[in-house]
Parts: sequence; C-alpha cells; structure tokens
Amino acid sequence: MNPAEECPRTEALSAWVDNELGEAVRAELAAHVAGCAICAPVLAEFRQLHGAFAALPELAPDVDIAPLVDRRIAAAAAQPQTPPRPPPQRMRWWQAVPLALGGVLSLSLGAYLGSMLMLGSQATAQPAMRQMAAFTAIPPGALALCPTRQTCNPLER
Amino acid sequence: MLAPEGTDEDWIRRAQTGDRTAFPELVRRHQTAIYRFLLRMLGSHEDALELSQDTFIKAWQALPQWQPEAQFRTWLFRIASNTALDALRRRKLVEFVPLEESFDAPDSGPDPERQAQATQEVRQLAASLQKLAPEHRQVLLLREVEEMSYEEIGHVLALSEGTVKSRLARARAALIEIHARRRP
Repeated sequence: MNPAEECPRTEALSAWVDNELGEAVRAELAAHVAGCAICAPVLAEFRQLHGAFAALPELAPDVDIAPLVDRRIAAAAAQPQTPPRPPPQRMRWWQAVPLALGGVLSLSLGAYLGSMLMLGSQATAQPAMRQMAAFTAIPPGALALCPTRQTCNPLER
Repeated sequence: MLAPEGTDEDWIRRAQTGDRTAFPELVRRHQTAIYRFLLRMLGSHEDALELSQDTFIKAWQALPQWQPEAQFRTWLFRIASNTALDALRRRKLVEFVPLEESFDAPDSGPDPERQAQATQEVRQLAASLQKLAPEHRQVLLLREVEEMSYEEIGHVLALSEGTVKSRLARARAALIEIHARRRP
C-alpha cells in the first residue's frame, strides 16, 4: 500500500468490508487503522452499513412472474409478423440528371427574373425623385446659398 | 414446488431448442432476485413487477445469442440494471416511496426498544437508499444484497474491477452522508 495515500483510505476500507483484499494488504491496513483516528471511524461506519444491509427484510414478488412472462411471449408469437421493409434503393447517376437539370433551370429563371425586377425599380425611381425635388428648401436650379436666414428658415424672425 | 434438477445452462439449451417449459423454469429460478433488485432500484412494487417481466422478455428475445461463457445470473442482472436505469431516466422517478411501511426488521431480541430501534434503522436505510444516485444504488445493491463479487459486478455493469472498487467506496461514503443528514 502506498504510504503517501491520504486518509481516510476509503477505497481500501470499502474493499476490506467486502473481503476483497489480499491477506498481506489487509494486515497492513489493519495495522494502519489501529493507529489512525481518521480511518478507524470510517471503517466502523462501513461495517455498520454492511450490518444494516444484512438486516433489510427479504422481498419477494407476491405473484409468480413465470406465467405472466409466458403469456406475453405466447401473445407476441401469435401476432402476425410484419414483413421487413425493403432497404431504400440507391439512385443511379443517370436517374439524377433530370433533377439536376431542373435545379439549374430553376436557379437561372430566378436570377433572370430578379435582375429584371431590379432594372424596373431603378427606371421608376428616377421620375419620382424629380417630382419630390419641388418640396426641398432649395428650389430646383437655385444656388445652395441662402440669401437671408429667413429664406432657409421661415420660422425664425 | 421443488425446483427441477439441472443447471441454468441445461435449461437455456432446452429453451434454445424450443422446449416451452424451459424458460418459465429459468424465470422461476431468478424472479425473486430480479424483482428484489428492481424494487430497491425503483421503490415501487408495480414498477418492479412490470420491469421484471420486461427483463425476462428481453432475455428470452436475446436467448439465441446467449453464449455459455456468460453466467446467466449476471447476464440477467445486466438486462435488469439497464432496464431500471432506462425507466428512471424516462420517468424521472426521484421521489421517495416508502418501502418498509409494512415490514418489520428481523427479531433482534426480546427488548422491544431495541427492536423498534432496529426497525427504524432499516426504514432509514431504505429511505436513504432511494436518495442515492442510481449508479451508486445499483452497485451497492449488487454487492450488499445480491452478494456479488467485484468480478461479477464488473460483468453486470460492464466495468473493470478497479472501477467497481472505487464506485463502491464512493457509494458507501455517499450513503453514509445521506443517512447522517436524515438522522434526527
């Protein structure tokens, strides 16, 4: 046993209670426990727990499980067996050609219609911008400089 | 009823060759231990009874693959243990169901006070056991109640003997801590 092992030596003490230690290791541990104030109470608790388990009442089912199991097995055997589903067939490369062509065609059509829509929106946006220019503070054709402050800001008096 | 002669392996071979009387015999041989383990794992009689049947059904279904190298008892406990953990995860069964209400501790002598104390100890242990993590509970039950060796527990739980040893130590320490907290 490793002398540097920390106390309580829980694993070794637990294995001792289970009678799973070799004779030499058990003797060495017994000598240690006799003089160790940490390991001795742990061993006592493990032994007490072992005794408490031994005192647990015997539990048994109140029915015979065998006929219940037998009935379920018989019921399962009487059910018609569903035929196994055939594995899904793998697609050949030539079967995928129409799908690929359809995909390319759809993408091309989408790109074409999208570009047409963009061009149309640019053509209609320009006249609207010209009409809106009448409502700006600077009339069309005027210079950007204000002759008086009131011209640019009529609320200011 | 007297148990018929023959080892588990004999009855398994008979069941594998189609003898309908063989598997019920195997169930009868192991039903008490499997039920007891599942009852302590789940804390409910109904669940233990249902999962005992499920365990034996699974064993019957896997019987054609059973190899003579595997001990039938540890193989059955492996199925039962996995079935119990699955059920606990599925149902999140964490509430304590008092098991020992109708049981008395074994007679510890003529002293009624001592007997009452022993009964109380048994009830507290059963209650503390239900508070223990399922992985700790199963390893302790296999060792303390079913009296399996570390090697057998290793086969049931698919663990090395070293892991069984350390898990048992941790399970004992955890149970003692829970037990101490429950004491008045």
